[in-house]
Amino acid sequence: MNRDAPLVLGIETSCDETGVGIVRGTRLLANTIASSMDEHARYGGVVPEVAARAHLEAMGPTLEAALAEAQVELADLDAVAVTSGPGLAGALMVGVGAAKALAVSLGKPLYAVNHLVGHVGADVLDAAGGPGHPIELPTIALLVSGGHTSLLHVRDLTADVELLGETIDDAAGEAFDKVARILGLPYPGGPQIDKAAEGGDPAAIRFPRGLSLPKDLERHRYDFSFSGLKTAVARWVEQRADASQPVPVADVAASFREAVVDVLVSKAVNACRDRGVPRLLLGGGVVANRRLREVATERCAAAGIELRIPALSLCTDNGAMIAALAAQLIMAGHGPSSLRFGADSTLPVTDIQVA
Amino acid sequence: MSRSPFAGDAGESTSGAAGDAGESTSGTQRVVGGTAEMEALGRELGATLRAGDLVVLTGPLGAGKTTLTRGIGEALGVRGPITSPTFVLARTHPSLVGGPDLVHVDAYRLRDAVELDDLDIDYERSVVVAEWGHGLIEAESDSWLDVVIARPEGAGDDFDPADAPEEPRTVTITPHGPRWA
Repeated sequence: MNRDAPLVLGIETSCDETGVGIVRGTRLLANTIASSMDEHARYGGVVPEVAARAHLEAMGPTLEAALAEAQVELADLDAVAVTSGPGLAGALMVGVGAAKALAVSLGKPLYAVNHLVGHVGADVLDAAGGPGHPIELPTIALLVSGGHTSLLHVRDLTADVELLGETIDDAAGEAFDKVARILGLPYPGGPQIDKAAEGGDPAAIRFPRGLSLPKDLERHRYDFSFSGLKTAVARWVEQRADASQPVPVADVAASFREAVVDVLVSKAVNACRDRGVPRLLLGGGVVANRRLREVATERCAAAGIELRIPALSLCTDNGAMIAALAAQLIMAGHGPSSLRFGADSTLPVTDIQVA
Repeated sequence: MSRSPFAGDAGESTSGAAGDAGESTSGTQRVVGGTAEMEALGRELGATLRAGDLVVLTGPLGAGKTTLTRGIGEALGVRGPITSPTFVLARTHPSLVGGPDLVHVDAYRLRDAVELDDLDIDYERSVVVAEWGHGLIEAESDSWLDVVIARPEGAGDDFDPADAPEEPRTVTITPHGPRWA
């Protein structure tokens, strides 16, 4: 196998995106994504069984499209990689099954990797719209999506990832979905809240910052909580409605979004300071939120922290990041996974590769 | 058969004939002061649960359903963290002590029994806690505990949004079926 710049095909099916990516070392050759988002909208969120069926239908065409875009043949590959977890069990199984079938039929080594570390791995790739120079380690990474809110200290992408904190109740993206529900806005909530917040005053209502009081910071310095914030928004809106007063949706949306973004960025910047790491990497679908990028940019600049935001197509779930992480593992001399691994919906972030 | 302390310890507020499948007693009520107390109530409740038990949790957004479930999980000794199941619909927390697993369900987005069936829940070998499951999941068992959490709603005096998570809740627990007779 070519260990200097291996040609790796990565498959990602942990949620509602069927992603197939192809990399050669740190060079991105293809990043093809089929999303079943539209099929989930009428359910008000991702439905695991719907996602699994959609993956099954999309896997073949997505694979074909990625190979065509990269202009490579399956036989050229040095290895196949796949997300083993964390994610939706039924959705993960489709990718794991497809990857095993490919690896066995082609006689190629198979690398089963961690979805969350993959989000960090995306940053080794140089895609249009990205930072333009390769990732430096160690880095603090803040991963925020519908299903995850995690703060990591990454010292070595292939060997040393520490989980600093995560949400103890709702993921940040989920809080957006639920507050959208309270405000009568459709799913997915993130873009809807963003739109509703246009022209709103982010300081109009002082909503609580979860786990940010001194007593909470002792036990949960890097953990997140968005459930209390959601309750506060619900109570505030109900009071207005009960008093027959109009609900200032723009102010509520802007104030809510500010509370989420404030906590996310504050805790990430604290982690950079505490750990003496002057780099912060953002990943996950919520990075699409303009306000999050703005506040992170301002506060990182003020604190002398280099902020890295990969191109959005590499921030949302994709197969290229899985291929990129596996390529890093191969280049670092790690052997392949055995074929015995399965989908692990709660795979800990410290398990970078599943043996 | 173990008896739920919540079915027996409030004779004054309990009425009606317990014991016939599907027939209910009126619930026992608890006032819960904040998140720490809600978790403590969950631990108390969790200590009475065993494989095959079903808890149906009802309450508005932000009532404390997941907080209560966190306490139940602690008492059962299952792998955490217990976070909101909304995104994944159902999450299985394996037992770390050789007891039943905890299956934490959010049925809000489920529309019918077919979609519930798709989740493939092992009711017999697990303790199942279903948020928003009222009116749907009871059909899966002849016995269940109805837990209704009410939080303050609407207009109040000088309400500060920052205090919302710690406002007192009223929890009503109503046993149904032979398991709790």
